[in-house]
Amino acid sequence: MEEAIVTDGLTKYYKSKVGCEQICLSINGGQIYGFLGPNGAGKSTFVKMLVGLLFPASGKAWLLGKPLGNLAAKKRIGFLPENFHYQDWLTGLEVLNLHFSLGRLDPSARHSRIAHVLEITGLTGREKQRVRTYSKGMQQRLGLASALLTDPDLLFLDEPTSALDPLGRKEVREIILEQKRKGKTVFLNSHLLSEVEMICDRVAIINKGRIIEEGPIDYLTGKTVEVEVEIGGRTPNLDAALEEACFSIAWAGEKGKALLSDKEDRARLAEIVIKNGGRLYELVGRQNSLEDLFVNLIREEGEKDC
Amino acid sequence: MLTIAILTWREGLRRKLLAAAVLLTILFLGLYGLGLYYASKEILADTSPMSQLQREIVISQLVSVGIYFGSFIVSLLAIFSSAGTVSSEIEGGTVYAMLARPIKRVDFILGKLLGHGCLLVLFAAFFLSALSAIVYCITGFMVNGIYPALGLFCLQPLVLLSVAALGSVIFPTLANGIIVFMIYAIAVVGGIVEQFGWIINSAAMIRIGIISSLIMPADALYRKIVHILLSFSGGSSLNFTQMGPFGSISEPSTQMLVYTAFYIIAAVFLAACLFRRKDIP
Repeated sequence: MEEAIVTDGLTKYYKSKVGCEQICLSINGGQIYGFLGPNGAGKSTFVKMLVGLLFPASGKAWLLGKPLGNLAAKKRIGFLPENFHYQDWLTGLEVLNLHFSLGRLDPSARHSRIAHVLEITGLTGREKQRVRTYSKGMQQRLGLASALLTDPDLLFLDEPTSALDPLGRKEVREIILEQKRKGKTVFLNSHLLSEVEMICDRVAIINKGRIIEEGPIDYLTGKTVEVEVEIGGRTPNLDAALEEACFSIAWAGEKGKALLSDKEDRARLAEIVIKNGGRLYELVGRQNSLEDLFVNLIREEGEKDC
Repeated sequence: MLTIAILTWREGLRRKLLAAAVLLTILFLGLYGLGLYYASKEILADTSPMSQLQREIVISQLVSVGIYFGSFIVSLLAIFSSAGTVSSEIEGGTVYAMLARPIKRVDFILGKLLGHGCLLVLFAAFFLSALSAIVYCITGFMVNGIYPALGLFCLQPLVLLSVAALGSVIFPTLANGIIVFMIYAIAVVGGIVEQFGWIINSAAMIRIGIISSLIMPADALYRKIVHILLSFSGGSSLNFTQMGPFGSISEPSTQMLVYTAFYIIAAVFLAACLFRRKDIP
């Protein structure tokens, strides 16, 4: 499958501040790709460079095999901005007609495409109302409808569910999954890690403008295993032995939590406890969530170079 | 480009901008017509030869006042309707989704200019035509050269539109409106200074006026319009109709018109170039 997004050292500065720095990504088509990071990390900056709102200071990028800014590629892209705003003096239908015209689509498909996106975003029956009468959630749905209007092969969604209730979020997740089933690529910026974990195939985590981790979700969350231990008869010798073996354990009395790099370490930890006279009452492993990974990575402030 | 132009046109109509302008213009023209009626009533009653000259002077002064304030109204409409050509779209966030579409930024800004320009030209044409009709109906005074004057009267808001569009790429909407208005004010004051300069034969004052016209040619266009509409045929040297701050003692040259055309093109070109590479965070 064609690579949907390729970036090579993409960099953006805002005067003295780093927006994005040396972003190298290669995203295959037909998947849902999550892009995560704390506030101000550079997520929206990166997306805006890709859709042509910002110009990179350096680096290159290709969308659907074409260099940045190529109009033929833009025709196959949909974009829902984080700060979604549409002309409030237009009706929802007029907004969609406007974007249909701007999308340079086949005029004969206008009616059917608009009807389709209205239906899947739950706006059927509300399209003739002025946008200024729409709630924030409805405006976001309109934005999603507009992004889907051109049946894009590559869809950029920047916080697509921020204004939606739980039911709306579920509907949007289903829309995104449907896009994947159709072989489309979805690039998803989101703060909602649980949502990303539910639907994304791969994620990249950005902090202070740099990618600090990237890969399939299963692989990333499986990289570390958190275990809860309860050890009786702790001695300074036992603690020293554990520290020497690079097991970093956060203790609360006899109970502790440790982050292990692989499952084999569980056996090694148990062996050390027994050898040093400790009594191992409990050793329970817990699958790391994306949130755990995210929090740990941001705290560590690691960097991943091109 | 046409899609954006139609959108801009529609915005002007839907937001009642043009409707409000037309309504207030009708109010102004009504008031003006009333004033013109009562003023000319007294003058037209006296049919002596000397009063014939007085009549022409007074009526032409009243006409130039009407054109002056009409020019002012059209200019203000041009400034404040187009001060946010690009900046209001950025500030309102409506530009994000549009520029992500497969349209060139140049087409976007030219479409905005086309939409605004059409509205302004329509309004300006309506205004001058209505004014001329009122003058003729009330006083029987027929202005000269209505068609070239109409063309220049429609060009006036386009000068301001081009500068406002350029400014809107650089400045926020409010700041841009103030800046463009101040530039226009410089041109107006400069024009008045130049008029007095010609009356008292002051080279320095004339130079000030010329420089202000180069900074903003809108007032020079106005002087040209007045000169066309109110100039005597038959080569009379006593052109009292051109006197006063609303008149045009020195007719702006054809070179000034050519300069104005290049001025507009340069402003639009610069606006398009700057917008083409503008970051929209």
